Amino acid sequence: MSDAGATIVGLGLSPQGRRLGFSSRELRRQAIDAALNDAGLRREQIDTCICFGAMPEDLRYAGLSPRMSFALSSGGASPALSVVVAAGLLATGQAEYVLSVYGEAFTGDAPKLEPNHGGAGRSDIGGYSYGYPYLYGLVGPGAVYALAARRYLDRFGASSEDLAAVAVVERDHGSVRPGAIGYGQPITVAEHQASRMIVDPLRLLDCSRPTDGGAAIVLTSAARAADCAGSPVEVLGAGCGHNITNWWDGTMVSRFGAAPDAARRAFGEAGVGPEDMSSAQLYAPFTIATLLQLEEYGFCGEGEAPAFVAEGHTAAGGSLPTNTGGGQLSGFYATGFTPLSEGILQVRGQAPTNQVPDAELCLVSGSGGNGGVHGSWAHVSLVLGRPR
Amino acid sequence: MSAPRPYPGDVAPDRVDEEFWEGCRQGRYLLFRCTTCDHAVWPAGGCPRHGLAPMVWKEATGQGRLHSWTVVHQRYANSFADPPPNVAVVELDEGPLVHSTVLGAARLELGMRLEVFFEDIGQGVVLPVFRPTAQEGESTGPG
Ligand SMILES: [Zn+2]
Repeated sequence: MSDAGATIVGLGLSPQGRRLGFSSRELRRQAIDAALNDAGLRREQIDTCICFGAMPEDLRYAGLSPRMSFALSSGGASPALSVVVAAGLLATGQAEYVLSVYGEAFTGDAPKLEPNHGGAGRSDIGGYSYGYPYLYGLVGPGAVYALAARRYLDRFGASSEDLAAVAVVERDHGSVRPGAIGYGQPITVAEHQASRMIVDPLRLLDCSRPTDGGAAIVLTSAARAADCAGSPVEVLGAGCGHNITNWWDGTMVSRFGAAPDAARRAFGEAGVGPEDMSSAQLYAPFTIATLLQLEEYGFCGEGEAPAFVAEGHTAAGGSLPTNTGGGQLSGFYATGFTPLSEGILQVRGQAPTNQVPDAELCLVSGSGGNGGVHGSWAHVSLVLGRPR
Repeated sequence: MSAPRPYPGDVAPDRVDEEFWEGCRQGRYLLFRCTTCDHAVWPAGGCPRHGLAPMVWKEATGQGRLHSWTVVHQRYANSFADPPPNVAVVELDEGPLVHSTVLGAARLELGMRLEVFFEDIGQGVVLPVFRPTAQEGESTGPG
């Protein structure tokens, strides 16, 4: 278990929600302070800072003094990837205390995207364009997930109601979680079916929306973790994969990227299998992503995910409570920190609601980036557990 | 007045694809193929086994099957006031998956046979689009 030494000793979450009124860097500062407090560490002990996106972290504003600071840019896979990278830095002795921090504020209206038409130097389609498919109207990640959804539904005779069942379960989780965007608002399959079509076959209630929020974790070695204040969570296994592999063999539209590499490696490193997981926290900004991952991780067979959900396995009290904080659909969208933070809370036994009893092992996934064609995301799998 | 459609150079101003777009203007459908193993890709890029060096544009069949499709209802972008009716992924007989639009189909079904044709969208830009093959068109109704 090459990652066995990496241990998460601090977790910090700012408030999460729509239009909180804080700047991105202030949300990050709040998360950093919460994570340091949780770990019982002084801020000058942080020697490595990992942040996300194109801009370097504002270390000055956050009052940090690391030896090393850099950004990871692999979309929603980045937070889980930061855990993998931190494990390597800790194992080689380059780092002793690694801070990984995210924070975004999506204030105001969502920007309308325009083509860079006529060579006026105006181009805001950027990463949303996915290149040439934009010529045919493919815009935004929702359309990419929709292509995967259409193929899944048609291959296995599944329906929009099967996607609805995923949304209903996640809303059930979120509806009891204070602060979640779905708090106090359970939904029904009928309400899902009545929600407007966004990108066929995905309806409004199949889709997440970005929320404001900051999140941070602190990692250190297993030995140092014993001296920290927080409840340690060990990275028992980790695996990376990339859907570009599936692009080359023509299976990308049918897959999410956990197979063939990431899931197998993570379970193998941890010496466990899907049947050993107490819960799963999946990167799933659209309902179809949950169905695909339940199958790729081996929780059920190919084409069996709708039945797996319908039988209640992913619900509270089921065999694999999934996205127990409401996930990205009904909890909050803090990119890969949504599943990662909930996984940490579950293993600690500190989930505010829907705590899975004896949740010793938790699967966390992350997905994102673009390898040169829409849907060619990077994928990262983590098996989190109590130190053993 | 409808908002402008994006043109290839707007979306990805990639000179390595110029020969492809010139082929479209001439009614020829090209794929980028490895001269070592014949692996076909689109748009221009490297062979996963042999890299970019041995790749050349070659005429292709323009035939394939519908792999997946969607209709973008949400107005994410200011362009496409009059959007194409669908975004399709076509699995070409030569292997690669390509994005396009299927026109003239009464209904879309995975696996349906498709063939390329060319749509002039103005400004000297000709896009490859797909329609049911003649035989398939008869069985799926008028387009
Ligand atoms: Zn080759």
